[in-house]
Amino acid sequence: MAEEKWDEKIKVYVPEYAIKLIPNFIKNREKDIKNIEDSLKKEDFEIIERIGHSMKGSGAIYGFDRLSEVGKLLEESAKNKNLGEIKNNLEELKNYMGRIEILHE
Amino acid sequence: MNILIVDDSEDQLLVLKSILNAEGYRNIHLAESAEKAFEFLGLEGKKKKNDIDLILMDVTMPGINGIEACGKIKKEESLRDIPIIMVTALREETHLQSAFHAGAMDYIKKPINKIELLARVHSALRLKRETDSRKEREREIMEMAEELDAANKQLTRMSYMDGLTAVPNRRYYEEFFTREWKNAIRDDGCISLIMFDIDYFKAYNDTYGHLNGDDCLKKIAITLSKALKRPRDFLCRYGGEEFIAVLPGTDKKGALEVANRFLRETEKLKIKHRTSSAGKNVTISIGVATAKPGRREKSSSLVNKADEALYQAKQSGRDCVKVVSGNN
Repeated sequence: MAEEKWDEKIKVYVPEYAIKLIPNFIKNREKDIKNIEDSLKKEDFEIIERIGHSMKGSGAIYGFDRLSEVGKLLEESAKNKNLGEIKNNLEELKNYMGRIEILHE
Repeated sequence: MNILIVDDSEDQLLVLKSILNAEGYRNIHLAESAEKAFEFLGLEGKKKKNDIDLILMDVTMPGINGIEACGKIKKEESLRDIPIIMVTALREETHLQSAFHAGAMDYIKKPINKIELLARVHSALRLKRETDSRKEREREIMEMAEELDAANKQLTRMSYMDGLTAVPNRRYYEEFFTREWKNAIRDDGCISLIMFDIDYFKAYNDTYGHLNGDDCLKKIAITLSKALKRPRDFLCRYGGEEFIAVLPGTDKKGALEVANRFLRETEKLKIKHRTSSAGKNVTISIGVATAKPGRREKSSSLVNKADEALYQAKQSGRDCVKVVSGNN
């Protein structure tokens, strides 16, 4: 991943059973991003921890393995109330969501 | 079969439903919190209960968490047999012990692997089906046992009862007289028999017909068994128009009292009998015998004495009581 160019498309192979759910799934991630931004301002770490936890649990099964990893990092940084880390992970999340290219498995 | 998925993440609910649907599981129900699941199962409120065969339960949820929810469902008698599979992220593994303690049958780690999920769901549902059919068989066996028991009780009642008069029959008499005779020996007490028959009963049947004859037998049997006051006393139809009453713990004086009551009660019935030489109405002749039996004495000796007394009553013009005393 480190060798990827920052703006290169990231291919996501979505399993058959999840294809129809993808638009809703992506919309939910956009909501997550907005929620995290709002919670950051209020320093509501609990909500960020919960969002990270859910993302960790559901990312991989939709084929978004990287999302599970970012979710885990978000959950941990929120637990540690580490604002800097949360911001880094949020940026990574936004960047990732901006570069994904959905492919059918 | 019906599967309920409980998870606070919409994405998780939808993807699990989609995987299970694709595998042919059609009836998938979703609840986004433990509270919603309770409502769906009829645990809270009075809503109609839904039949569920398997629950997939997320561990970490806001509000009531999956472990508490599992415990609560397992405490409910009607929901106890529903297998629950806990769905949990790796680092929550320490909670698994409490999940199993709360009654969960299995767990799946997040992120969920499709093949693992399907294998676990399949085996949980197979277990549920087996449990259901075992319970059904048990219920059927219980029902059959109850029916059999009721039938046996009914048979026992019938086998001890005289079909015409509904008082105990000769078989009952043989069994319970022998038992009371032994009791009398053991308690060093006395026991009395009252043997009686209806006077000129053959003439009654010839005059009024057998149906009226049956009716006469019924009236006498019912009336005189009601005339017995003590709980262990009983009246049996001995055969034909002959009856015998067993009076445990009753001496000669007591037995005579009962015998005279029998005469009076029969008289009060005022059953017309125009071909009787003993009166205008139906009468009975009574033989009484009392004994304080010793160990070597046979119960038949008392029956013979009652029979002899009855014979004497017949010789003395009927409608009367005669006594033959035993060894005291």
